[in-house]
Amino acid sequence: MKPLNWKRLIGIDNLRNEYAYADDAVLGYTSARRSADRWVKTTCGYCSVGCGMEIGTRDGKAVAVRGWEGHPVNLGKLCPKGLAEHHMLTAPDRAVHPLLHGKRVAWNLALEALVSRFRNIQKQHGADAIGVVSTGQLLTEEFYTLGKLIRLGFGTSSFCGNTTLCMASAAYGYKRSFGSDGPPGAYEDLREADFIMLVGANIADNHPILCQHVEANRDKFLVVVDPRVTKTAMLANLHLPVKPRSDIALLNGMAHVILREGLANREYVARHTSGFESLQSFLSAYTPQLVSELTGIAPETIVDVARRYAGARAGFIGWTMGVNHSTQGAETVNVINNLALLTGHIGRKGASPFSITGQCNAMGTRETGFTSSMPGYRKFESVQDREDLAALWNLDVNRIPARRGLAYPDIIDAAAEGKVKGLWIIGTNPAVSYPNQGQLRKAFANLEFLVVQDAFQPTPTSEFAHLCLPAAVWGEKEGTYTNSERRVGKANVAVQPPGEALPDFDIFLRVARVLGCKDEIFPNWTQPEDAFNEWRRVSEGRLCDYSGITYELLEKVGGVQWPYTGEGDPAGVSRLYADGRFQTEDGRAQLYCVPCEPYPDQPDEEFPFVLNTGRTVEHWHTRTKTRNVGVLEHMAPNAWLEMNPADGKRLGLRSHDFVTLVSRRGAVNRLELRLTEITAPGQVFAPFHFFESNVNEVTQDACDPISREPNFKQCAVRVERSLTHRS
Amino acid sequence: MLAELPLLNRPDLLLIPNRMPAPGEQFRFHFDMSKCIGCKCCVVACNEQNGNPAELNWRRVGELEGGVFPAVQRLHLSMGCNHCVEPSCMSGCPVEAYSKDALTGIVSHNADTCIGCQYCTLNCSYGVPQYNEARGVVGKCDMCQNRLSQGSSPACVNACPEGAISIEIVNVEEWKSGLMAAGNAPGMPSALDSISTTRITLPDNVLPDLDRVDRERVVPQHPHLSLVLVLVFTQLSVGSITAIWASHLAGAVLPVWAAIAAFAVGALALAGAPAHLGRPIHAVRAWRNWRSSWISREVITLGAFAGLAQAYAAALWFQVPQADMVGAAAVVAGFVGVYSSSRIYLLKARPAWNTGFTIADFFLTALSLGFLAVAPAWGAAMMVAQLALQIARFDAMRTAEEFERNATASLLTGVLRGPFVARFVLGAASVGLAFLSPMAAFALAVAGEIASRWLFFASVVPKSMASTFLKPGGAR
Repeated sequence: MKPLNWKRLIGIDNLRNEYAYADDAVLGYTSARRSADRWVKTTCGYCSVGCGMEIGTRDGKAVAVRGWEGHPVNLGKLCPKGLAEHHMLTAPDRAVHPLLHGKRVAWNLALEALVSRFRNIQKQHGADAIGVVSTGQLLTEEFYTLGKLIRLGFGTSSFCGNTTLCMASAAYGYKRSFGSDGPPGAYEDLREADFIMLVGANIADNHPILCQHVEANRDKFLVVVDPRVTKTAMLANLHLPVKPRSDIALLNGMAHVILREGLANREYVARHTSGFESLQSFLSAYTPQLVSELTGIAPETIVDVARRYAGARAGFIGWTMGVNHSTQGAETVNVINNLALLTGHIGRKGASPFSITGQCNAMGTRETGFTSSMPGYRKFESVQDREDLAALWNLDVNRIPARRGLAYPDIIDAAAEGKVKGLWIIGTNPAVSYPNQGQLRKAFANLEFLVVQDAFQPTPTSEFAHLCLPAAVWGEKEGTYTNSERRVGKANVAVQPPGEALPDFDIFLRVARVLGCKDEIFPNWTQPEDAFNEWRRVSEGRLCDYSGITYELLEKVGGVQWPYTGEGDPAGVSRLYADGRFQTEDGRAQLYCVPCEPYPDQPDEEFPFVLNTGRTVEHWHTRTKTRNVGVLEHMAPNAWLEMNPADGKRLGLRSHDFVTLVSRRGAVNRLELRLTEITAPGQVFAPFHFFESNVNEVTQDACDPISREPNFKQCAVRVERSLTHRS
Repeated sequence: MLAELPLLNRPDLLLIPNRMPAPGEQFRFHFDMSKCIGCKCCVVACNEQNGNPAELNWRRVGELEGGVFPAVQRLHLSMGCNHCVEPSCMSGCPVEAYSKDALTGIVSHNADTCIGCQYCTLNCSYGVPQYNEARGVVGKCDMCQNRLSQGSSPACVNACPEGAISIEIVNVEEWKSGLMAAGNAPGMPSALDSISTTRITLPDNVLPDLDRVDRERVVPQHPHLSLVLVLVFTQLSVGSITAIWASHLAGAVLPVWAAIAAFAVGALALAGAPAHLGRPIHAVRAWRNWRSSWISREVITLGAFAGLAQAYAAALWFQVPQADMVGAAAVVAGFVGVYSSSRIYLLKARPAWNTGFTIADFFLTALSLGFLAVAPAWGAAMMVAQLALQIARFDAMRTAEEFERNATASLLTGVLRGPFVARFVLGAASVGLAFLSPMAAFALAVAGEIASRWLFFASVVPKSMASTFLKPGGAR
């Protein structure tokens, strides 16, 4: 019960001051609550678009944000999440104290517990018996530091990030085709291309700020490949509503037409690629007729799209999770790269096979990471690369790991099998985001010690934790993010973290000190810039060369694309592979023959629908942040399920009924049914943001054998009326 | 206010006019639906600009869909205030909290004047004014007029990544004489309702079945219980004074306390009326806009009725010879008062109310209850008429083509079926008991009319701009 407010009852306007306006020097006339006395330039901490923005503070509190006028990425605009980002800082469920077994403890005791429990587990069960799963939400400096701490300090190879649930297929696809990870293009290509194809990428919901680049391009022909009529499909000149997971067939079919009609760039293929002959004979089977049967797209449309792409002055193909979330994810990326190589649509203005990344720093973690490769895109298996790193770090070469350890899903499986006994989860929320939650719970139940380091507490994941470490979040810590177009942006401190929360960087250094390896692997490090400067040296001469990028430069130009060695215009646009020389041994890109295979979880009589999952523009991932931002939560307050009206009629269901999804693995309750023509008959769609109705109870953990990325999409389900009835 | 607008070298400033409106012109919003990607930046920016809580969105985005998979159209409608030529919020406001700027045409609301009666929230066909429960006053979009006067763009215009929202100048006469078609769009109530000025650019080839996606999300409205009681008891008071006066004229001798009670019920109901205001302390202002607001007229005429009814009761007490004359005056004032009450609800924005049924309904409540208390036979006849009217009203809703009226009927047979049936059972029972136990009949009839007036508010389906599929704030 609220206390009786007699002033309000009789009608005295006691909130008058709260709703007062002020003429702010920076914002102009606006709510007085937003008047700031200090503005801090930074980079957005949500997605990988990497928007430049400013945080306004007054009396040490963040009171407003605004887009960075003239920033090359976002041109001063922000998406709805960015426009209200500061509200997340003061969420009531921010983590403020370390908690050991639910009780508040001092930091030193918390970190001693972490180190001693992990060391004991390693003594008993081997070095790899502790696992670490972190996130693309960390700053580059933090991720670089964490990689060294885990692989050199703790010495476990069970180290991965939630990027494996997101971008691993893109990274592996690039490595296989071009010899290295690294998206070749730039956002400018969206404005310069005369042909753009987006495959499994709903940028209007997920990367809305990219739409302004696309929309500014008046000469383009935009093709959107998506089984659902997304908001992005509405922007397209041509929407190809392919059957689920038939994208490989479509892309192979386009390549078939390009070769059959002699539209390939034969000179480019001859000079810069390997594997053309076998690809040519492989593709002969992918006739428009066959591809039409597999995709549901008319043969003449396939021919038309292939001709348009091949005939374009500059052809751009972008993709996100529709491609990556697949047991053939990395290979699908290879097929996209095939098209770019066959036509020479790479390394030029407007021409790129371009992976649109997920998290704000997914790219930084890929470059500096110690997960799927070593810092600077170095390969575990390369003696030369290991020797390089040993020399850079003044370590014996035997200290440098020679193999990649377990990937995220394999760490979870190993925990379920009792092989991984200790787990440290940093800045990610698998209890919402991990596929097949039953398996995750099995893993958690088997753990001897689970550490959850997060800016929020409790989270669905921290409910399982033995030790919770409170972390600072965007706006409270310093470092850099690298966005989808390889642009490094600076993130700055606007306010102090709440309570005893610490920047992840500080936590890692403190752990290193307790572990006794601080002076060896982080000599004289006190602040993120120390890590950044070492990373600049480590990346020097690599594809992802940061050597010319300094904090001062980033503050000045609002983001610099790598590679930048200090020569040329730091604000200029850079593209990879302009010279046609790739990062393979022989400098040639590799073409791949990829068959279009059936997806693993096929529908049948018991589970007749194909479930597709995704997002909505109001929310970020597992909502730890955005459910705390009132206006966003208000606009998208609960989970729903999209179903074609014909299916709804057959099942006797109506819009706004509450339904339950059941798969071979589990069930999720109370999704609000939306009968809509934007979803094809036989398919259903649900967002994954909502822990209250977690769709990952039903998704599958079958993984891409190459990238280890789970096949979140295309999951066989049935739909039942929830026992709790209509709204 | 706006002198000369500085046009800086900023692209968002190309989205606002570089001059002030000339005589006969005003500022208005232009929304380009073909550019909107449904990102809702405008909503967030507006809430930030005005420091509004999450549940108040002065700018809203609705979803529209049409077609059959995969040839589907998904569009979004973003709307703040339409800054109407004939703003219904303004004409209905009893305290003159609204004003339309003579130069810019911007319709703005003054929170200091507002008494929180929320009549404007019922009166706008587009659902623009919104009540801030915590503060007790209404608020709405004012086109960020203070930003415009500084030469900077409104928050929504500034935030839109696609440049889909802009401010432009409209010639009011040209707009009224034909161009107003560009003010209509799927998901948008008719621009004619109050001469909305917003211009909406639709994409080419809009599908004929493009429609809002919230059609099936029809939920009962706030029942405004205090208003229900005020209406029923003031009507009861008017009806019983009428019955007493008529009985006297017919030569019947009634105890004086009947008139005192009849007056007292009305006076108490009127005294309780400010309870439904957000700011009861300022209730006395409510007579101010008698020129155009039926609320002001209701306050004045029912106030006069209360005074005359009191005088009538006193005249009967003291057996003043002119009592019948005073009674006649009270009855006239009461009838004008009940009529004013009913006219409050004859709103384009509330189609189920906007019929003659509402006037008849209010009078039959007054007469059936009033006569049941005094002359049961007449009262029973009035109640039969009232029940017949309610059936006719329901049938008119059920067979109406208009979505909102139809939806009212479906609410009455759906989630509101219980109270709807109860309303008839109570009314019929009161007729049956009228000769056996007049007091019981009267009590049942009052309960029936309270249920009826409660349903009147709960079952109305307002016109509004298209909303989202999910109910903002949640399904529960």
